[in-house]
This record gives sequence, C-alpha cells and structure tokens, in this order.
Amino acid sequence: SPAPSMATAPTTAPSSSSSTAAISAQTPTTTFTATSSSPSTFPFPPHHTFPPFFTLQPNSSTRRTQLQLWTALILAYCRHTRTFRLAPIDAQDWPLFHNATLRRRLALRDIREVLSFMASTEGGGRAEWVSDAGKKAECWVYWRRPEEWAGLLEGWVDATGQRGAVLTLYELVEGDACRGQEWAGMDVELLQKCLQVLVKKGKAGIFGEEQPGVKFF
Amino acid sequence: MFLRQIDLTTALRPSLSPEETLLFVQDAVGLYEGKFKLPNCQYGHAYLTSHRVCYVDNTEPRKYSVGIDLKDVDRPEFFARFLKSSPKISFHPKANKRQSLSLRPPGPAAVPSGSSVSSSPIQGSPLRSYAASPAPPTARNATWICPICSFSNPVPENFDPAIANAHTPLPSCLACGIKPPLVHVIKASLSGIANRGPSLEPKTQSSSTALGSGVNHSDTFIPRLGEVSPEPRGSAFQCPRCTFQNHPSLLACEICGAPLITAADRRLDLDTARPRDDSPGPSLNGLHSTGDTLEVIKLSFRAGGEKIFYERLKGALLQRKWLLQSAPPIPKPTLADASTPNPSASSDGVSPGPAQRQTLGIASLERRGLEQRKNNELVIGNAFEDLEALMTSAKEIIALAESFANQNPSLSSSSTTNPSDAEANALLSQSASALGLVTTKDMLGSGSASENLYISELSRNLAEFLTDDTKGVLKREGGIISLVDLWALFNRARGGVELVSPRDFERAAQLWEKLGLPVRLRRFKSGLLAVQGSDRTDEKTTATVLAWFKEFHLEPPGGYAVIDDEGFEIKSRVPWDWRLYGRGVTAQETAERFGWSVGVATEELEMCEERGALCREQGIDGVKWWENWLVGPSVGDEPELDRIVRNLASTGV
Repeated sequence: SPAPSMATAPTTAPSSSSSTAAISAQTPTTTFTATSSSPSTFPFPPHHTFPPFFTLQPNSSTRRTQLQLWTALILAYCRHTRTFRLAPIDAQDWPLFHNATLRRRLALRDIREVLSFMASTEGGGRAEWVSDAGKKAECWVYWRRPEEWAGLLEGWVDATGQRGAVLTLYELVEGDACRGQEWAGMDVELLQKCLQVLVKKGKAGIFGEEQPGVKFF
Repeated sequence: MFLRQIDLTTALRPSLSPEETLLFVQDAVGLYEGKFKLPNCQYGHAYLTSHRVCYVDNTEPRKYSVGIDLKDVDRPEFFARFLKSSPKISFHPKANKRQSLSLRPPGPAAVPSGSSVSSSPIQGSPLRSYAASPAPPTARNATWICPICSFSNPVPENFDPAIANAHTPLPSCLACGIKPPLVHVIKASLSGIANRGPSLEPKTQSSSTALGSGVNHSDTFIPRLGEVSPEPRGSAFQCPRCTFQNHPSLLACEICGAPLITAADRRLDLDTARPRDDSPGPSLNGLHSTGDTLEVIKLSFRAGGEKIFYERLKGALLQRKWLLQSAPPIPKPTLADASTPNPSASSDGVSPGPAQRQTLGIASLERRGLEQRKNNELVIGNAFEDLEALMTSAKEIIALAESFANQNPSLSSSSTTNPSDAEANALLSQSASALGLVTTKDMLGSGSASENLYISELSRNLAEFLTDDTKGVLKREGGIISLVDLWALFNRARGGVELVSPRDFERAAQLWEKLGLPVRLRRFKSGLLAVQGSDRTDEKTTATVLAWFKEFHLEPPGGYAVIDDEGFEIKSRVPWDWRLYGRGVTAQETAERFGWSVGVATEELEMCEERGALCREQGIDGVKWWENWLVGPSVGDEPELDRIVRNLASTGV
C-alpha cells in the first residue's frame, strides 16, 4: 500500500486540489532514479495556488513565513527535477515561479529576494550565488549541501571498493557506474566543490588540469 | 430656590431646550449654598443661558451638575475679590409658596460631625440640618470677629464649646477666607451663650475645662492628622521679601504682597480637603436645602470672568426669554374683512362673494395660496421693519426658513444631485439646530485660559455633533470618518456663522480623550487622522472584517455560471480553492461593504495586515487582500489528504 512509502518521502506531499493525480504521481518519485523527473509530475503544495503567495508581503512576520515556504518549495522542486543551478532570469518561467492556471508569477526581483534569503544564515544557507562580481545572475541550490554530497560520495566509493583508484570527474558524473546515483548529472563545478571538502579533510586528492581526476585515500 | 439636576448632552454640556441660547461659559467655578460650600461642586464650568444658570462639575459631571432657573431668581448680587476669597455672584431666590415644607425631624445621626472622631480630616462648615444636638442650645447668635480683617462672622450653630477640641472643624472667615484660631471661636461662642442667659452657667464650667484643654493645644486650627508641615505652626510666618511676621495662613504678605509659598501649599490642601459633610436625613443627593429657608446660591469664580458673566446675567434677566416659551403667537392684523356683504349686491346672488369663499375648486386653492403669500409677506415685513421685532418673530422666521430649505435642497447644497446627499445637506443646513451648537468666541470670558476654554468647548461641540443621533454623522459614514471630511461637514453645519480653522479643529479633536468624551481621534500608520467612537478598537474592526471574509468560504466567487473575476471562462470555479481560501477583496469593495470612504478602508485593511490577520496580493488590477493563509492552518507538511490517508491506514483499511 502506498501509505508507508508516503511517510518516508517528505517531498511527495500531495496537493489538495489535484487529489486524484497526486496519488498516482507519488510512486515514480519515491525511488531516486537517474532520470530527472519532469516538472509536470511535481506535486505542488496547496499554498502554491494561493494568489498572495506570489506577492512579497510587507508585514515582516508574514514575510518571514512566506520566505520559508518558498525555500522549502524551491528545494523540493530542485530535488525533484535534479536542478543544481538556478538562474533567476531563466527560472522565472518555470512552473515553480509561474502558476499558469492561477496566472500569477513571482517577479524577478522577488525571486532574487527569495534566493538571497536562502543564501543567508537565516534561510539555512541553502543557496549560494555563483560569484560573478555580485551580479546575482545564477546561484547554486543546495538541496544537498556540499558536505552532504561529500559524505555520499565517500560512502559510494567505500561501497564499491574504489578506494585508491583514480576516477575522473567526468566519470563520476556521467559514467555508467554512477548512473543510478544521486549525483548523476551534477555540474562538474559543484562536484569539485564537494570534493574540495574531502580534500580539506584529507580524504581525497584532486589532480590534473585538463581532465581532472580524483583519488580517494 | 431649587437647585435642579440638569440633563447633560453626550459631551457633558447642559442640554438646551429649543429656544434656549447659550450666552456665556466660564470654567473654574465653585458653588455655594448660603454660606457653605457644596460638596463635590467646587470645580466645574458655569454655563449661562437665556433661561438658566447651570453648573457642570469637572470630576463627576453626570452626578453633580445642577442648574437654577432664571425665573426663580429675584436679583443677583456681585461681590468682588477680597483678600483670599474669590469674586462671587449670588442669586437671591424669589419668595415662593413652599412654606408648607415641614422642618425635617432631627435624624438619629444628629451629632455634629465636628466632634465625631473620624479619622479623615473633615473640615468645613458644620451640618446644614439645624437639628438639635444633644448638647444644650448653643449660641445661635454668637459672632466671632476675624482677627485678620475684623469681619464679624456667625459662630456655626452646632458649635459646642463644651466639646470642641483641636479636631473640631472650623469655618473660615467669610470675607477673607482665613480660619480663626479655635480659642477665638470658643470665646466668642461662650460670650454669646453668656449673653443669652444664666441657665447655661453650669455648662460654662465644663466648657471652661474644655477650654483649658483646648488652650493647651497650640493655636493651630488645622487639625490634620498625620500631616507634617515643615514650617512652624504656632509662630508667625516671615515674609521672604520684607521680613514682616505674617499670620501663618496668609497667602500673600500683608505689607508688601509677596507670595508666601508654604502657606499657599497649605491653602491648596485646605481647598481640596474641605468638602461639606453630607447632611443626615434623606435629601436628594445631599444638594438641596431641605429646610424651609431658601438659601442664597452663590457662584465663586476662581479664574475670572465674573464681570462679563454678571453683565450677561443682568441682560438675560431683563430679557426674560423664558416667557416667550409660553407666549401666544403674535396676533396677525386681520385682513380687511371683505366678507361683510354689500347690501346692494348680495340679495341677488349674482356674484355672492362670501358664499364662493367656501366652495372647493381650483379657485379656492388659488385663493388659499394667495392668502398664504400675503401672510408671509406681512410676517416678513413686520419682522424686518424692526430688528427687535425680528428677535421676537425669530421662531416663526426660522420655521419658514427650514421649510424653504427642505423644499429646495439643491439651493443649499452646491454640487450633489444624489437625492440622499441632497437630503443630508438639507438636514445639515437647518440653521435652528446649528445655532444651538455654536459656542462662539465672544461667549467666553477673557483671561489666560480663554483659549483653552474655547478649544475645550469646541471639542465638546464636536462630540455632540458627532454623536447626535438625529444627524447620524458617524453612522452614515460607517462608524469612522476622516478628520478632513468631518471638518468640511462641521463648517457647513455651522452655516457660515463662525467657521473653525483647521488648526483649532485639530486641537479640539486631540482633547477628546483627555476630556473623556465618547469619540476618539485615531492616527493611522500613514498619518491619516480619523475619528471614530471610543468603543471601536482595532480588535473589533479586525474581527468584523474577518467575519466578513468568512462568508466567502460559503459561496463561490462570482457564482457558478458566470465568468469569475479572473476573467477565466471556467465553468465552475476560480483557479484557487475558494472553499479553503475564500477570495480577495479590494479596498473599494471593503468601502462599499462597511460604508467607509476608500481611504479609510485602505487604512483599515492595512491595519489588519499589520496585525497579521490579512495578507495582500499584488496583481495587474491592483492590490487585493486575503485572509492570511500563509500562516494559517492549511499550510504545512501535513495537508488534509495525507492526514486522512494516514488515519485510514491506522485503522487498518
């Protein structure tokens, strides 16, 4: 029965409006497949159909709640669609920020506001602006933090007994062996960030310029 | 004469009868009956109208406001300021037929309170009831000479030298207001008794012992328990300027007039702690004289204004406007009676003039109208010939003016063609009621406080205007009106008699809370000032608005078959879950619903948003307000379906 799987997957919260579709939509997302799930299967929460959700509230306490809701929604959505990087100017047309049935959208300025909130400590540090002299054109969305990724990578390396072997980064991301893994399809840059964490801890080493590779100690 | 309880308006001013006009207002007055101060009636406003003199207390206006009808006043008398006593105007009553009022029998509590061992320092005049005290008849006719001004005051009737001690309250001198030493009064009363007869000799023995004990007390005559006054009591007080040894209770030095500060402190205490005792026996509020003698009523003016008051009072007594109330209307000069038939023409009945007068028909209607017009012409002609005559026909003229104003509302208003507005304007422009509301600046006395008095009176006028149910200003505006709108309405209502400047208006509005009136001024976040009743708080408004929002959950916005307000051609409903969220409202809709103006509605909605009850939505068509479901129960990780399925699972389905 779908009940226990529902309990384990916090992201698969069905919305009350599309009730019948939601239950069937749950099953593909409970297992983390390599294929990125399409946005149309993402179960949006009920407040996504609440028009004031798309207007940044002037009242400070209401605004804080609103930003928290947006944070949770963005993270869930990115996890679902396996998006690691988000550019506001491109993202404003996603179903995430633009509800076509409601004909409401979150303005570009407000998207940046939300992402800045996510990047702050108050928002949990779940985003990071790609450093391009403060222009805020693009940001990383950490639905898993680099530290968490690092842990996962290490776990996988241990599980497959590849300690001491040298792997290229490309292999990690696109290789056959990693097809079923969460980090498949990750940006190389992000992967490098995650590996840096390991390097700092002394558990891995990166070398090579053209074809960067990593060795886990 | 009788002091009557008077009715007060909502703004705590005396409510005037239709023909009564307000002549003068003065604050800081006190009320006396006979020689004694009336309790609780020492700080208030005096209102002089054409029919009455009213006193409205400051501290408890509803309980202690009284008035005297001018028709009961025989003559007024004016006493100028002397030393410490303020200027007074006294009203001598007309001798009336109420001699049949019997003397009240002495009540059980007839012990002079002077000797009662009450812990509170009650000083003041002795009891008004001249009931026999258990002591032998005291010196009714004894007088004591004031040591300061040598005015001879009567010894109070129930003053018993036998039992008088330091705690006996003593009356102050009537002329200069300074209390005598106890010894002095005892001596005077004893001499009075001695003059009356030898039968009281044995009493004097005992009284002398009392005296003896009394003398040992310092000649302080302020028996205040537990009060420590720093300066020497028994000795004289040295003036700081000229070093003259003054009497301790004087306010200003006798020689040079320098103010003696510490004595002033004591005087203040004296004033506040000098209430009259309630007379025993059932009297209405303890205010009326229950004896058979009608006492002279006095008004004491502590802040000036007595001269003008006196002048206006004399004028009002002269004019005797109260007689007009029952006066019959002025007999109109009868038209030359053409109804006496000419003997030559009547017999034939060719054109019987008088007979035709009685028939119905358009001719008689026309004739009636003609007579009416002739009548009006006569009335107006008579009235305007002589301004004095105008005042007497004022009643009729005003009625005429009102009827004209009601017939032609468009004449009085300027721009509106809306029938309800025209009616409103007609109501507002009725001059008769407007005149009654006006307190013009020349009605108030001179003095440093006149400006404040004007503002406070204006503030009361405003409160009355707002809470007047016949006009229903606040009700028509949904309970709240912006200050600017109110200023416009109020000035129009005054009919151009005396307009109020915006600054005065605002100052008057700010006094409402201080005066405890039932309306209050409210400042919104954006700086808009609005006026509403004191019983409407933010919580109440928020609750009302939310209750209105709840209705939206019950029916789909726009109905089923209609294109909804989004413009979607959705068959049944709007894209959001209206059962859960209701719908959004604009400020316009809110204004219509509650009868507010749009500016006020916006402010109220923003106030609700501040409190977290509402949230806003910015769309292409403007701002709409919704119930705040962002922080509401429908948001979270546990939507209803989840919960339901979980519950079902737990029960084993």
